[in-house]
Amino acid sequence: MAIVTLEKTTARPAPLSETTALGWLRINLFSSVFNTVLTVISLYVVYLTVSSVFTWGYLDATFIADNRRECYKNSLTGACWAGIINWFNNMFYGRYPDAETWGVNSAAVILILWMAPLWMSRVRGKILIAVSVVVFYPFLAGYLFAGGAKSLLMNIMVTGAIVAFALNLLNTLAGLFTDTSIKEALIKVLGQSTAAEGTQRKVLFALLVLCFAVVFTLQSNWLVTEVSWTRWGGLFLTFVISGIAMALSLPLGIVLALGRRSELPAVRVLSTGFIEIFRSVPLITVLFMATTMFPLFMPDGFFLNNLVQVIIAVTLFNACYMAEIVRAGLQAIPKGQFEGAHTIGLGYWGTMGLIIMPQALKHMIPNIVGNLIGLLKDTTLVSIIGLFDVLGMLRSISKDVPWLGLHKEPLVFGGLLFFVICFSMSKYSRHLEFKLSAGSRR
Amino acid sequence: MSNESGDRTRSDEFSFFQDQRVRSGFYQVLAVAVVGWLVWYLISNTAHNLEARGMSTGFDFMQVSAGFDIEFKLLEYAPGVGTYADVFKIGVLNTLLISFFAIILSTVLGFFIGVLRLSNNWLVSKVSLAFVEVFRNVPLLIQIVFWYIGVFSLMPAVKKTLDLSFGAERLLLNNRGLYMAWPVPAEGFWMTVLAFGVAIVAALLIRHRALKRQAASGEQSNVLLLSLALLIILPLSVFFATGSPLAWDIPVLEGFNFVGGATVAPAFLALLASLSIYHAAQIAEAVRAGILSVNVGQGEAAKSIGLKPGRVMSLVVIPQAMPSIVPPLISNWMNLVKNSSLAIAVGYPDIVSLFMQTSLNQVGHAVEIVGLTMVFYMLVSLIISALLNIYNKRVQLVER
Amino acid sequence: MNTKTNTRQLASSATTEKMIAIEKMNKWYGDFHVLKDIDLTVHRGERFVICGPSGSGKSTLIRCINALEEHQEGDIIVDGIKLGKNLKNIDHIRTEVGMVFQNFNLFPHLTILENLTLGPVWVRKMAKAKAVETAMMYLERVKIPEQAHKYPGQLSGGQQQRVAIARSLSMNPKIMLFDEPTSALDPEMIKEVLDVMVELAETGMTMIVVTHEMGFARTIADEVIFMDAGDIVERNNPEDFFSNPEHERTQQFLNQIL
Repeated sequence: MAIVTLEKTTARPAPLSETTALGWLRINLFSSVFNTVLTVISLYVVYLTVSSVFTWGYLDATFIADNRRECYKNSLTGACWAGIINWFNNMFYGRYPDAETWGVNSAAVILILWMAPLWMSRVRGKILIAVSVVVFYPFLAGYLFAGGAKSLLMNIMVTGAIVAFALNLLNTLAGLFTDTSIKEALIKVLGQSTAAEGTQRKVLFALLVLCFAVVFTLQSNWLVTEVSWTRWGGLFLTFVISGIAMALSLPLGIVLALGRRSELPAVRVLSTGFIEIFRSVPLITVLFMATTMFPLFMPDGFFLNNLVQVIIAVTLFNACYMAEIVRAGLQAIPKGQFEGAHTIGLGYWGTMGLIIMPQALKHMIPNIVGNLIGLLKDTTLVSIIGLFDVLGMLRSISKDVPWLGLHKEPLVFGGLLFFVICFSMSKYSRHLEFKLSAGSRR
Repeated sequence: MSNESGDRTRSDEFSFFQDQRVRSGFYQVLAVAVVGWLVWYLISNTAHNLEARGMSTGFDFMQVSAGFDIEFKLLEYAPGVGTYADVFKIGVLNTLLISFFAIILSTVLGFFIGVLRLSNNWLVSKVSLAFVEVFRNVPLLIQIVFWYIGVFSLMPAVKKTLDLSFGAERLLLNNRGLYMAWPVPAEGFWMTVLAFGVAIVAALLIRHRALKRQAASGEQSNVLLLSLALLIILPLSVFFATGSPLAWDIPVLEGFNFVGGATVAPAFLALLASLSIYHAAQIAEAVRAGILSVNVGQGEAAKSIGLKPGRVMSLVVIPQAMPSIVPPLISNWMNLVKNSSLAIAVGYPDIVSLFMQTSLNQVGHAVEIVGLTMVFYMLVSLIISALLNIYNKRVQLVER
Repeated sequence: MNTKTNTRQLASSATTEKMIAIEKMNKWYGDFHVLKDIDLTVHRGERFVICGPSGSGKSTLIRCINALEEHQEGDIIVDGIKLGKNLKNIDHIRTEVGMVFQNFNLFPHLTILENLTLGPVWVRKMAKAKAVETAMMYLERVKIPEQAHKYPGQLSGGQQQRVAIARSLSMNPKIMLFDEPTSALDPEMIKEVLDVMVELAETGMTMIVVTHEMGFARTIADEVIFMDAGDIVERNNPEDFFSNPEHERTQQFLNQIL
C-alpha cells in the first residue's frame, strides 16, 4: 500500500536557539565547559592586548610636541606620535625637496588613472592599456622623479606616454558612456563609419601622428627640476624599487620558466641552475653581492649607482620566484590545450602566446599578487645596505636630535603602514582566487 | 596527381634549418654561447678590476688572524689569534644555532595556532586569525628590530633584573640578556644518563609489546602512564642514589654584570622571538590548509564507526593531512634559515653579519667571501630539499 | 546498436589519389612497442573507421599522422609530404590535417568565434572579416551559429564537440582525424555529433575515425579496421566486417561491444 501526503508541509520559523544572538553565543562560545574556558581565556587575552595598546597608543599618547622631552612631560607611559607627525613628509618622500613632491604625487595619480580602466568591465582594449603602461609609464614617471634635461629618447618616450595616457583616458570615457572603444568613437565623430577599413586605418594613423607631433613640440619646452636619486627615499623609494623590480621580473620570470620547461637540455639546465641558485640564498646576500661585486663586474669607467645595483639585485632575485609561479601556472594547463593548438597549425610561440600564456596568467594572478606583497616586505632590506626606504627613514627618526631615542613608535607606525597595504592586497588576491575558482566551475 | 615525389624533393631542399635536430642544437649552442660569453665577460672584467686595484685573490686570507672580537660564539676564539676560517665557522654555527631553536619553536607554535584556527569556538578562531594576519603582513625586518629595540632592550637594567624563576635566581632577564643557571655534571652523572637511556628503551619495548598484544587479542592497555612513570622515576632514583652528581653554575652579580651560568644576548632573544612568531604564522596557515584538505567525509566516516574525537584526529585526519602539511612546513624551515640572515640588523653574529659584512670590510676578497657564504646557504637548502624529497618518496610509497 | 544514425549507407567517394601512405611504421613508448609494422593507405575521399580495445594503439596511430606523436621507424607520407624531423613539414601537415579530440580541447579563454578564427587569422594569415565570415559558415554547418559569442564553458558537451569540429574545418583541412569524438559525451548528445560527422562525410571529406559507434561505422565507412596490441588485425568493408568477422580476436571484440 502506498502512503501519500497530499498536503504540502509549510515551512516554520526555526527554534530560537538557531536564530537569536543568545542562541548564537551558546553554540559558538559556550557549547561545553571546555569551550567556555577557552572563551574566557581568549576574552582576557583580547582585553589585555586591546586595552594596553589603546592606552599606550591613544589615551596616554602625545600627538603634538616639538621634541621628545615635551612628550615625556605630557606622559611617561604613552606613545609619542608627535615625532612621526613631524617626520610625516620624510617618511613618504625621503629627502625629496618639498617644492618638487608634486612630481611624485602626480606620477602616482597618473598611474592610478592609467591602470583603473583595467578593472572596468565596459572599457575595451585592456591588453593595449596594460602594454602601454609597461612601455611608456616608466619613462614619464622616471622623468617626473629625476627631472633635468631630456635626451632624444626621453623626449620621444615622454611624448608617447602623454599621448598614450590621453588616449587611454578618452578610451575609458568612450567605454563608460558609449560602450565603444576610442577607435570606433573617433571614426564615428569623424563621420568615417561607412569608409573602407583601409581608409579608416589611414585616417586614424594620421590623427595619431598629428597628436604625437603636437605633443612633442609642446613638451620639449617642459623641464622638471633635477632631483638626484640620493634624495629619493621613504615609501616613495620602496614603491619605486618594488615597482620596477616587479615590472621587470615578470617578463624575466616568464623567460626563465619557459627555459626550465624547454625540451632543449642545455637551455633547461641553465635556467634551472639560475633559478635554484637564487632561490636558495637569502635576499640580503644577493644585495651584498650587488654592492660589493657589481662594481668589480663592470668594465673600466662604468659605474652603476647604488640604487641601480639594488634594483638589479632585487629584480634577479624576484624573477626566480616569479619563474616558479609561472611554471606552476603552466603546469596547470592541460596537455590537450597544447595539442589543440598544434592541430590548428600554431607553432611554439603561437601556442604559448595565444593559447597557453593567456590562460596560465589568469590563474597566476593571485600568486603574483602574493609575490608582490612579499616583494614589498622584502624591499625593507635595502635599509640594511644604506638606502633610505621607508624603514630607513623610520629608523633615522631616532637619530634626529629632537627625537633622539624614539625607536618604538616609528616601528609600530611602519608595521601598521605595511599591515594596511599588505593585508588589503592579500584580501584582494583571495577575493580574486575565489572569483577565478567560481569562474572555472561555471 | 603525381606531385608526391615532387613535393618530397621540395621539402628536402629547405630542410636544413627546418630539421628539428639542427634547430634544437642551434638554439642550445646559442644559449650556452651567450651565457658563456656573459660569464667570461664578467670574470675578465673582475680580474682586470682586481688587478687594477692591486687586490689579491684566493683563499689565503682564511688563515690570517682576524682582529675583531665576537660577542657570541660557540667555539674558542680570541681577537688577533683566531683566523678568518674560525670566524667563518663561528658564523655558520651561530646561524645553525638560531635556526635550530627558531625552527622548533615556530613549528610547535604554528601547529598550536593552526589547530586553534579551526576551533569551533568563534572567538578562539578569530583571535588566532588576527595573530596570523598581523604577523604575516608586517615585514620580518620591522618585527626583528621591534623585538630588539622595543622589547628586549627595554628590559630593566642590571640592578633591577627580573627573576623569572620566582626568587630562585636561576633564570634572570635584564637589558643585557637572559642569564640561566647551567648544569655542570660531576663524576658519576653518566649513570643517570645511562638510566635514562635504559628507561627509553624499556618504554619503547613496553609499547611494542602492548601493540603486539592488541593485535593478537584486541586487548587495549594504557601504556602511556606506565612509560612516563618509568621515564621519570628510573633516572631520578639513580640520580639520587649516586648522590646527586650535578652542580649548577649560577649567574652571580659581580660589579655591573652577571657572571657565570649561560648568557643569551638580547639580539639572540629578539631574533628567536621574531623568527619563531613570523614563521609560526605561516606554518599555522599550512597546518590549517592541510587539515581542511582532508575530505570532511573522512572525519564523518571515522565518527560513524564509533571512534572517539581524539582518535578521529590521530588515526584518520592527521595522517591524511600530513602529506599536504609537510612540504610547506619544510619550505618554511628553509625560509627561516634564510631569514635568520636578518640577524645583521640587530648585530647577532651570524654568517652574513660576521663574514659578509665585518670580515669583508676588513679584508676585502668580496668574490671569495660572497661565494663562500652563498655556497653555505646552497648546501643548507640542498640538504633541506633532500629531506623533502625523502619524505615525498615515502608518502608516495604509502599511497600506492 | 546504440545509436540510430542514418541507416542508409553512403556511396563511397574514394578516388585513386593517395592522401595518407603509411609504410612499415613502428613506434615505441620506451620499451613498449605500441605500433608494429603498420601499413595503411588512404585515398582522397576515403572514410576509415578504426576500432579496437583500449591500449591497442588506435589513438596513437592517428596522433602519429598529425605528428602529435613521433614515430621511430618507417614512413608516414601525408598529402605527398613526408613526416620526419623537418619542422616546416610538420607545421604544414598540421594545417592540412584537422583533428577532433575526445575532450574537445577548445580554448576556454576565447569565445566560440575566436576559437574558430584563431587558426585562419594567425596561421593562414586571413583577413579578420573574412575569417569571421568563414567561421560563421562552419558554425551554421554544425548548427550552432547562435552560440558564437559564448565561451566554451557555457556550452554542453555535444555543442562543444561540434564547435571543435567546426574549428578544425575552418582551417579548410584535406583530411579530418577523429579521436573517439563521442566517448566523453552523455548518450543524448552523441547523436547530434554523429549527425554532423555523417554530413561531413557526405561532402567527400577524407576521414579517419577512431570510435566504437558501430552504427556510425556501418553508415559511413569505406573500410573498418580492427586493431589489437599494435597490429592491424583485420580490415574489411563494413558489411563483411560486422556480419562475417574472420579473425578470432575481432569476433571476441565484436561480441563484447555489440
